[in-house]
Amino acid sequence: MGIKKVGLNRNVQPQTLTEKIFFLDFMKGLKTTIKHLFRKVITVDFPFELVEPAPRFRGVHGLRNVDGTEKEDFDAWVKKLKIKPPEMGETRCIACKFCQAACPVPEIFIIKAEKLDVPEDHPHHGLKVLSQFDMDLSKCMFCGLCTLACPTVCIIHTDVYDLSSYTRRGWVLNKETLSKIADDFIARRGKEKYDEKSHWPDWQKIWDEADTARAKAWDNNPPKLGPNYADQQ
Amino acid sequence: MSWITLDKIKKLQEQFDFVQINESDKGFHSVEVPKENFKQFVQFLKEDPDYRFKMFIDWTIVDHGQKADPRFQGVLILFSPEYKERIIVKTWATEETLPTLTDIWAGAKWAEREAWDMFGIKFEGHQNLVRMFMWETYPYHPLRKDFPLKGYEEVELPSLNEKERMDQLEGLQNYSRMHTALPTLEDLEITQKKRMPNKKSQVVLNWGPLHPGTHGTIWFLFDMEGEYVQECDIIIGQLHRGVEKLAENLNVQQIIPYTDRMDYIASMNENHSVCVAAEKLLGIHEKIPEKAKYIRTMLAELSRINSHLLWLGTYALDLGALTMFLYTFREREKIMDIFEGITGARFTINYFRVGGVYADLPYGALDAIEHFIKDFPTRLNDYETLLTRNRIWLRRNIDVGIITEEDVYSYGLTGAVARASGVPYDLRIIDKYDAYGEVEFDVPVGEKGDSYDRYLVRIEEMKQSARIVQQCIEKLRKMSKNDPFFFEPEDKKMKITIDGRGTKLFKGEVYAGADNPRGELGVYIFMPKDGIKPHRFRLRSGAFYNLQIFPKLMVGRPIADAITILSTIDPVVGETDR
Ligand code: SF4
Ligand code: SF4
Repeated sequence: MGIKKVGLNRNVQPQTLTEKIFFLDFMKGLKTTIKHLFRKVITVDFPFELVEPAPRFRGVHGLRNVDGTEKEDFDAWVKKLKIKPPEMGETRCIACKFCQAACPVPEIFIIKAEKLDVPEDHPHHGLKVLSQFDMDLSKCMFCGLCTLACPTVCIIHTDVYDLSSYTRRGWVLNKETLSKIADDFIARRGKEKYDEKSHWPDWQKIWDEADTARAKAWDNNPPKLGPNYADQQ
Repeated sequence: MSWITLDKIKKLQEQFDFVQINESDKGFHSVEVPKENFKQFVQFLKEDPDYRFKMFIDWTIVDHGQKADPRFQGVLILFSPEYKERIIVKTWATEETLPTLTDIWAGAKWAEREAWDMFGIKFEGHQNLVRMFMWETYPYHPLRKDFPLKGYEEVELPSLNEKERMDQLEGLQNYSRMHTALPTLEDLEITQKKRMPNKKSQVVLNWGPLHPGTHGTIWFLFDMEGEYVQECDIIIGQLHRGVEKLAENLNVQQIIPYTDRMDYIASMNENHSVCVAAEKLLGIHEKIPEKAKYIRTMLAELSRINSHLLWLGTYALDLGALTMFLYTFREREKIMDIFEGITGARFTINYFRVGGVYADLPYGALDAIEHFIKDFPTRLNDYETLLTRNRIWLRRNIDVGIITEEDVYSYGLTGAVARASGVPYDLRIIDKYDAYGEVEFDVPVGEKGDSYDRYLVRIEEMKQSARIVQQCIEKLRKMSKNDPFFFEPEDKKMKITIDGRGTKLFKGEVYAGADNPRGELGVYIFMPKDGIKPHRFRLRSGAFYNLQIFPKLMVGRPIADAITILSTIDPVVGETDR
């Protein structure tokens, strides 16, 4: 570790007379420019060509439904919070509000659970279901803290990034919309992001290697992806 | 650790009987002196050959709450380049006044204006104590504890809300029709006049607030004599969002995404500063898992390259070399792709956590980074052929905006700006946070301190960063996929979580930070007792203090140099305004 001195006459030579007279500095610069003239195009032709966001991309939120890949302790959480055990296709949200507690802008969320209106002898008596889950994404900064806090991997980030709307109303998403976004995302890319128990697996790739648009942005010479660590396959 | 030792403080106490010592078990001792002796004491610290605290770092206020008497306390942070030590000097601001330090350190000028603006502390003897971020007629001092987080909503702004559609929104998520105070045109005129009380020419030239050359919303005022600038001032604050106030109401992990929005070009490094400071306060910085340390160092350096590439591109663009801009953005794109894959976001990253990082590297991350780093030197060569010895480039940069070594100390300049003036001030070697103590790299320093030196220093920094990244990759390759990336406390009293819920800070105070592409972002955290929310969360912005020297450099220069000088100082408005 040291100190490296830089400056004119230190690591850079001033222009010589020949360079000055024959404009060699400009020639050299032009050479670089001309070299680039014959390279392939590297710009992505949006919106006709799209780069697929990375699996970890933090886009618009979704609320996952029960699909048999819940974490091991899912049932314990459901029991603890006195939620009606969800069936296949129902939301995983147990209205624990951990996401809201972790969020730097808690006003984003409105989460409510209602007691089920069933007679006393019904097995679901005294249990609750999620009745409202609204998110106002115009206040969200897509920091990802809510998704890390969720014990059931219910609230997730999807790869949707176009959230433009003509009114502020358009940024308030309700339970149904959020579930639809998540279902759609899981069907498209769930395998890339989660393993069978809804964890991020260690084979989760930095991005999809086969994405031609991204390859273009990498000078048509994208990196070959391999394991990071000595003991990883 | 770069902190003054207890012995040395004790010696101070022997010499001055009014000195009180606040000892800290983490080693961050501070001293407290009465207001009457304050100036004499800091003058002594600056000049005495045993101390030589001649570098100004920060000068701010802590509000102890309405009930406390006296309520406000001034906090001065100094650095001694000779002994590589830091000290905190505190004094109570009785009757809401403090003596000015502008005659000892020129850098105190903006710091005092900020303190007046945010806390309403008057500095006796300050030559023009006007507001820093808010407009002149603004009635409040927002960082006082009695100012509500939401502000006072007192003007109606119907244009922000569309009535018909909005009224369909039910419940909490509707927008209030009332808004906090906004400046009117008259307010801005008053502000502008107050900033330049003794203008000489007929017309003041305005540059900004919205001009592509200012790289953000900075508003420059030039008092011109022909083409030459006689006096210059800067109005900032258009992007002021009160991050410090917000931070006082959040837990420390939740503050990190806000710092993303400060220096949005190097958000990784901003996150790094907060993490390092909070970890030092908790006393766990040395115990962070090796893997997290290396990942953080590697990504922070990549982010430095990213930020310098943006600087280089826009700087060359401003001086008329358009192609450079396109070339550097091509390389930036790759770095942002890497960030996207690893962290989940391209720009506002929020990947570092107090205690490590939030996830391990995804499959293929190291390969992608290695691929980039292998290719990068040839690209950098291309840039250098285009610029370094180009005659136009030389003419426009050499001897423009010379910053002397003295200026560096008295203005508290940091980062590449300080190093170009021959001051090897770099937190990476002074504090050796994270893995910087274990990797090999050189700190480039310039000779003259002109724009050309600042250019060369940043180019060299990119090469050194690439070197660090390469070493981190090699080190990470040898690790195991099962190594932890987040710190698990053994101490029962300590709680830190990846999602931030319940993350606690300990009683005490700390000043620490990281060396960012735009200077040192220092974080001063003050905690009167253990708790979740920091009592005072001061962000010492490198870009803010670096920008302060701009008016001085501009005096006597032609207006065309404004672009060169501003670009080589390289402030980013998100960070100057916070
Ligand atoms: S991404 Fe961040 S800001 Fe947005 S809802 Fe989640 S925690 Fe809140
Ligand atoms: S943390 Fe998850 S389960 Fe709990 S309320 Fe939020 S989305 Fe529902």
